Amino acid sequence: MKKKIAVKFCGGCNPGYDRGAAYQEIRSATADFAELSLPTGGEHYDALLIIRGCTGCPYLYEEIDADARILCVKRDDIPEVIENIRNIEVKE
Amino acid sequence: MMTKDQYIESLRKLNLNLWMFGKKIENPVDDPVIRPSLNSFAATYELAEDPQYEDLMTATSHLSGKKINRFTHIHQSTDDLIKKVKMQRLLGQKTAACFQRCVGMDAMNAVFSSTFEIDAARGTQYHQNFLNFLRRVQDEDLAVDGAMTDVKGDRSLAPSKQADPDLFLHVVERTPEGVYVTGAKAHQTGFVNSHEVLVMPTISMREGDEDYAIAFAIPTDSKGITLIYGRQSCDTRKLEEYNDIDVGNKVYGGHEVLVIFDHVFVPNDCIFLNGEVEFAGMIVERFAGYHRQSYGGCKVGVGDVLIGATALSVEMAGAAKASHVKDKLIEMVHLNETLYCCGIACSSQGSKTKSGNYIIDLLLANVCKQNVTRFPYDIARLAQDLAGGAMVTLPSEADFRHPELHAYIDKYFKGVASVSTEDRMRVLRLIENMTMGTAAVGYLPESMHGAGSPQAQRIMISRQCNMEMKKELAKKIARID
Repeated sequence: MKKKIAVKFCGGCNPGYDRGAAYQEIRSATADFAELSLPTGGEHYDALLIIRGCTGCPYLYEEIDADARILCVKRDDIPEVIENIRNIEVKE
Repeated sequence: MMTKDQYIESLRKLNLNLWMFGKKIENPVDDPVIRPSLNSFAATYELAEDPQYEDLMTATSHLSGKKINRFTHIHQSTDDLIKKVKMQRLLGQKTAACFQRCVGMDAMNAVFSSTFEIDAARGTQYHQNFLNFLRRVQDEDLAVDGAMTDVKGDRSLAPSKQADPDLFLHVVERTPEGVYVTGAKAHQTGFVNSHEVLVMPTISMREGDEDYAIAFAIPTDSKGITLIYGRQSCDTRKLEEYNDIDVGNKVYGGHEVLVIFDHVFVPNDCIFLNGEVEFAGMIVERFAGYHRQSYGGCKVGVGDVLIGATALSVEMAGAAKASHVKDKLIEMVHLNETLYCCGIACSSQGSKTKSGNYIIDLLLANVCKQNVTRFPYDIARLAQDLAGGAMVTLPSEADFRHPELHAYIDKYFKGVASVSTEDRMRVLRLIENMTMGTAAVGYLPESMHGAGSPQAQRIMISRQCNMEMKKELAKKIARID
């Protein structure tokens, strides 16, 4: 069973990299073991992936129910983000 | 919320009495001169649909609990004020133009808190009237024009002392059902792309000006409203056969119109101020404060595009490694980010009003706008410095496409070998557009005069700066009793 990952973008006022392209890259690299989708109300997720455009954004989106939070704040974070998604332990 | 397409279709249903170049415009939506401004306004709907931007572009209504477009939101925290500025920077980046929807948002936030305090002081029902209007705006995701600036006639005279009484919008007839107003509002940004107009007084008023102390909201196509479109430098390039390269920004733009109210009816339940002269100044001050904050976001986004275009132009000319070029680009960024600092600062130092919404720090918002009256001009000067003379001496696109001339232009306007002449022309025309063409209206004189001319901010700065405290500080250090 694939891991359920919600994805939340920051608003994108001054991003240092292409957040949409980063999302696509993470999505295809994790496609075998994770299902990435936009959050919907009332759903529980194994993790919330927050794709921020810069380091100045403080939001963790506490209203989204997820066991873990994974941050991507720059392009160089992508390999680590992929590994973090791979290593998430799904709670029963 | 409305989608971009639904918004554009909704505009087709408006029956505006709009004039441009001496002709009545029956279909503004598809008019080639007007359409770029519509596209900019429509971006406020389009980006709200995109998950990549929804965190800035949307908010939760404090009235209904529903997800709404942030442009219809009443700020509930300093976080909302900060997100507003970030949203405006984002839209400036995406359009390189004025996207026009801020003025309505700023007007709604000013009238929201002001009507609450007027009712508390005078026992009126304006706040409930406004809430009914606001609910409809949020539920239907309407576009609202905020109309403040009267034409003002003789600036040394109060509204009621003008030789022509219509030089400030005023009540000319009162009936049990409402009032009739006559006058004009100048420089109205985005009116043609709006469903509703929220009218406010333009200055503080005194006894005798009661008929001029009027605020209300009505549909933009109400009977008796006439619009005359303001022309912009280079605007007719959009009508030429080759209208791609030469316009600089093919898709986006902005507009202003003169709005004439000729005996226009306003129902009682659409009125938010009616004769309470002592509160006219409150609405003006709050609207101006919010709008001066806005410029610390939108102009920064437009500046981002201009800086990017300038950097491209020097790369295309092979001049990017020159130390003075690098330094000038850094200076442009420094100026631009200083404006952003001001927008964020006045937002983070905001406070709660009696009505519950949040207002910016007025001193910092006025400092923000004062800087906006200067820095975009400095940024534009540096852009023109680095872009070079070709920006204004390039042949037309028609010449570039002509079979006998194309090879000459392609050869002699070439920069570095890896970049096509056409791409270089496109970047130079974009810089021209933003510093001298249609977009310069929004980036330069609007930075000077929009939300109040420089002196208006200096008056507010003098009122807010607490000079007495500063003198006391100096006395204490100097050991003066």
